[in-house]
Amino acid sequence: MNRSSLHFILAAIVAVALPLFMRSGTLASEVLIYAMAASACNLLLGYTGLLSFGQGIFFGLGSYVVGLTLLHTPLPLGLAILFSIVIGALVATGVGWLSIRRQGVYFVMLTLAFSQFFYFLAYTFKDITGGDNGLLNIPRPDVGPLVLRSSWAYYAFIAIIFLLIFATLQRVASSTFGRTLLAIRDNEERARAIGFPVRTFKITAFAISGAVTGLAGALHALLIGVAPLSNIDYHMSESILIMTIIGGTGNLFASVLGAGFYVIVSDLLSTIWPRWLLLLGGLLVVVALFMQQGLWGLLERIILALRPASRTAAGKEPGRSPL
Amino acid sequence: MSAQAPILAADKLAVRYGSFLALSDVTLAIKPNTIHSVIGPNGAGKTTLFHALTGRVQASSGRITLNGRDITHLSDDKRVPLGIARSFQVTSLFQNLTVRENLRLAAQGRTPLQALAPWRGVEPDGEATVIADQVMSRLGITAVADRVAGELSHGQQRRLEVGMAVAAKPRLILLDEPTSGMGIDDIEAMKALIRDLGRDHTVLFIEHNMGIVMNISDTVTVMRAGRVLVEGSPMVVRDDPEVRRAYLGNMMTGDIA
Amino acid sequence: MIYLFQLVNGIGLGMLYFLLAVGLSIIFGLLHFVNFAHGAFYLLGAYLAYDMIERGLNFWAGLVLAPLVVAALAALTEIVLLRRIYHLPHTFHILVTVGLALMVQELVIILWGPVGGNVSPPEALSGVVMLGDFIYPQYRLFVIVFTMVLALGLWWLLEGTRLGAVVRAGSESTDMVSLLGIDILKVNTAVFALGAGLAGLAGSLAAPIRGVEPFMGVEALGIAFVVVVIGGMGSYTGALVAGLLVGIVQSIMTTLWPEGARLMIYLGMGLVILTMPRGLLGRA
Repeated sequence: MNRSSLHFILAAIVAVALPLFMRSGTLASEVLIYAMAASACNLLLGYTGLLSFGQGIFFGLGSYVVGLTLLHTPLPLGLAILFSIVIGALVATGVGWLSIRRQGVYFVMLTLAFSQFFYFLAYTFKDITGGDNGLLNIPRPDVGPLVLRSSWAYYAFIAIIFLLIFATLQRVASSTFGRTLLAIRDNEERARAIGFPVRTFKITAFAISGAVTGLAGALHALLIGVAPLSNIDYHMSESILIMTIIGGTGNLFASVLGAGFYVIVSDLLSTIWPRWLLLLGGLLVVVALFMQQGLWGLLERIILALRPASRTAAGKEPGRSPL
Repeated sequence: MSAQAPILAADKLAVRYGSFLALSDVTLAIKPNTIHSVIGPNGAGKTTLFHALTGRVQASSGRITLNGRDITHLSDDKRVPLGIARSFQVTSLFQNLTVRENLRLAAQGRTPLQALAPWRGVEPDGEATVIADQVMSRLGITAVADRVAGELSHGQQRRLEVGMAVAAKPRLILLDEPTSGMGIDDIEAMKALIRDLGRDHTVLFIEHNMGIVMNISDTVTVMRAGRVLVEGSPMVVRDDPEVRRAYLGNMMTGDIA
Repeated sequence: MIYLFQLVNGIGLGMLYFLLAVGLSIIFGLLHFVNFAHGAFYLLGAYLAYDMIERGLNFWAGLVLAPLVVAALAALTEIVLLRRIYHLPHTFHILVTVGLALMVQELVIILWGPVGGNVSPPEALSGVVMLGDFIYPQYRLFVIVFTMVLALGLWWLLEGTRLGAVVRAGSESTDMVSLLGIDILKVNTAVFALGAGLAGLAGSLAAPIRGVEPFMGVEALGIAFVVVVIGGMGSYTGALVAGLLVGIVQSIMTTLWPEGARLMIYLGMGLVILTMPRGLLGRA
């Protein structure tokens, strides 16, 4: 079995196991929604080497678009979600196109500034977005015969979408396109010298990432029945990025791990202590100092330590290998 | 030979970095199917010339034509499909990818938009993979095909560096100091490789090793301070009094044929 | 006339933005380290000043002490933590400084509560002055004059002193600094503390104008990035020009379209990137 199928099976196990271990369908749904957003972020960070602080833009827009469509038009849910995906992709194309004009930290600062821009856009046009209160009373209509009103039914709906998206992103990552992204991350200058129009590839990566993040945002708004302003603010971008880095950027399943860890631990801690973000901040420092491969890397190390004899038999591939 | 149209020509080429004139008034014609070397002391502008010819750096003035087509304002990636490929003086590989993947990418770079397909997998018997395998056997690095490029020895990395240019199936191949940092055995092998490449490519290369230059070049261009000093056959260049005085002198110690 | 009023207001705001951005800029210039905790130092500067004055300390003492404490904390952070991670890719710089910013923000909430508070300007500056046809708060006028004097001093520090020479050389070549026989570790600490101290000072100065609240750090970070993107990274003059520009635009927009004031700033930034990817005065 290759690594890619293994990771897909792991993702499927997560999707099936969450209902067994969690009491709240809402929380379980959140895990999968953020797992999609983090995987999309990983496509940029881990595969392309682009640290985007703008993922919250696409997430928030996805929430607003699905909400506005369902509130103001008679269109079905499927179409509303599709609009979120398309808007996510389009805006990501624009943000990507502008941001990759600069490299390195300038790029990061630009994505962050754009994230602020869209935040204030949503904040300013209160008539459309509901401003501080958010866009309220978003319905969750049935999809044909599927009744999504109960939280576990909706979870099942999300789980199917999650697995489809995960498989799609895996396909993207292992395609000629994805492998060219890895080359760009590794050595952008050489990639250009051997003939690749690097900007076009980066922008395409942005579009895909934006589409998936927009979808995640739409599913989130449907989950809670609101498109809150917080879905498009700085902290959303920050959280998605943190999940991605905590999970590890070596493969897509690591992002599922990161999202699960972040959502569950923050839920747990926030009920115990409202100032749990203090601990999260400390955790980030610890990850940067001691756990640079993230949770996935930690897991690999633990497995390796537990089974030292089978190390060669297991055929462990170099940690750099993306999948 | 002189009647033959050049494959690549530079006309009064200049490159300016801020107030520093790295290259000025360089006029150059590379004849097809020849091995053409560029020599000169450090800082003569050889690498800058390569950067300008391949599009890494935009020329401040002057004109570059490839088979008669003006390519002066094309970016570097757009020049590759037209048949130019290069290697770098400082090894520049995809360090975390395997040797085969490095070469497959380099072969793919000629038709880069085919790779812009997020749904298309990499076929094991696809054209780019086949080319990668061919290049590996030509370079004699098939044994390390599945090793990560960053783990190769220096000599192997330098070969792969040249291979990256070969894999693009260019008509004109530019090699920037292919023997840089190599040991004596590797140098001999590289010399043979360049000569071999000369059979089915036009080769333009920068080199400090006079043995190789004088031995395998059809034409030698000597540069100094961003300008062309002399150009001619190895014999002409070696005997040119100005070249001797200005630069070569006691460096002419290679195994001159 | 209202525009003249807003123009003066904008200059004051812009000078604060300059202080904020120039600190970020010199830290990046020397250390190639993008400091996502920069807003946290601003936040800390504001709250320390607020706290000291609440405890009955003289306003002026607070204004001097708060930024110094921020600078000292920054120096400590640099020595204990940051110098261990300079060699890592910038992903980890961002991770650590984002973590620090979160910790500072939460600590502020723990220590001073989530609501925030107001800081009164000192007795001597609590009045207003007549400037032609309109009245203007004395404190805001003081901020303008004070920051301008400070900007001059900073310019002298960066252009006329040994430290400044090192900072400028260091941004081009670390080797060269080592050749000069200067302890680069100490310089790094000093520059980081200076940059953070400037952010803290901006916070302390801003406190009597806009009050304090725990999320002012994030907002300041966004503004500092915008100013640096518009002005060009590593450029003192760029930070000054862009800081003033952003301040004035924001201030005048408050009259024309209050809700859209912030929006216009980010829109302006987008336009600058489109037309001048390196910023107004950027070198690299």
